[in-house]
Amino acid sequence: MHEESDSALIARAKEDPEAFGLLYERYAAGIYNYIYYRTSNHHDAEDLTARTFYRALKHISRYVDRGAPFSAYLYRIAHNIVANWHRDHSRQRIISLDELVMGSPKREEPAAVAEEREEQDLLLQAVRRLPSERQQLLILKFVEQMSNAEIAQVMGRTEGAIKSLYHRTLVALRKELASVGNGWEEITERMKDEQETNG
Amino acid sequence: MAEVLSAHAEGLTGRPEAMQRLNVTAKERSRMSPLFRLAERLQQSMQPVQPPTAFVHSLGKELTDNAKRQIALTKRLRQAVMIVAAALGSLVSIASLVGAIIFVVVRLRARAQARTLRTPVG
Repeated sequence: MHEESDSALIARAKEDPEAFGLLYERYAAGIYNYIYYRTSNHHDAEDLTARTFYRALKHISRYVDRGAPFSAYLYRIAHNIVANWHRDHSRQRIISLDELVMGSPKREEPAAVAEEREEQDLLLQAVRRLPSERQQLLILKFVEQMSNAEIAQVMGRTEGAIKSLYHRTLVALRKELASVGNGWEEITERMKDEQETNG
Repeated sequence: MAEVLSAHAEGLTGRPEAMQRLNVTAKERSRMSPLFRLAERLQQSMQPVQPPTAFVHSLGKELTDNAKRQIALTKRLRQAVMIVAAALGSLVSIASLVGAIIFVVVRLRARAQARTLRTPVG
């Protein structure tokens, strides 16, 4: 069956509550993912996802379709809500349960799995230390698998600006990983060698 | 360089044609290999997570209920605005009519008075 377009659903949502429900179903997972990678725990991801959709619902009657996708509007709301959340939490460092569970290698894990987990933790921690717009770019690109054109629409920039921001982000991330020292490059090199030997 | 890195990332996310369009030399490729590797590790580490089904379902229901209330409230508000506007309109019409009647009566009286004053006595 032909899927109803976002524009049609938005127009209908002003009079029909089920239409907003359909928009929610379409974007719930994407927004949740975005917020999860920005907050690094499921509890806050649920809370902020709910706030994002409530805010969108509150303003849906005044939403004007200017050609940009509805997802861009939702990601902008989520981005602002996450920024406020970070500002409120900046004074206290909370180590989430997810971080504790994901971050500590289990004793029974084989060494290779533990190493890979360690490398992944280092990388994600370094990503979280990047400025918020760079984190946003990486999440939209790798988690949401958006094209540069789609990211440009969400972030309100040109495609060229996104490409150059991506370049700068990778360079900064590499520097950040080098500054944490021994871990990352060595592990990556070793894993690459292992993959080549096995492959 | 930004162009090549971007095309490489597009390839990692299932759009290999961007990289195929670019002619990247072996030298360039080796110069950029640390950044390519970093992008590949990012792609492996940043996998989508699945929101809990119970959460998605309950939030969906809450939002739909809220949307129903919001639409009903908007409708009631619109009706109230219409009633107030209609009442105001009626008041203005009645006031205009009364004003017009008073104006006509005052004019007629003034004319009658003027005629009485002009009529010679006896």
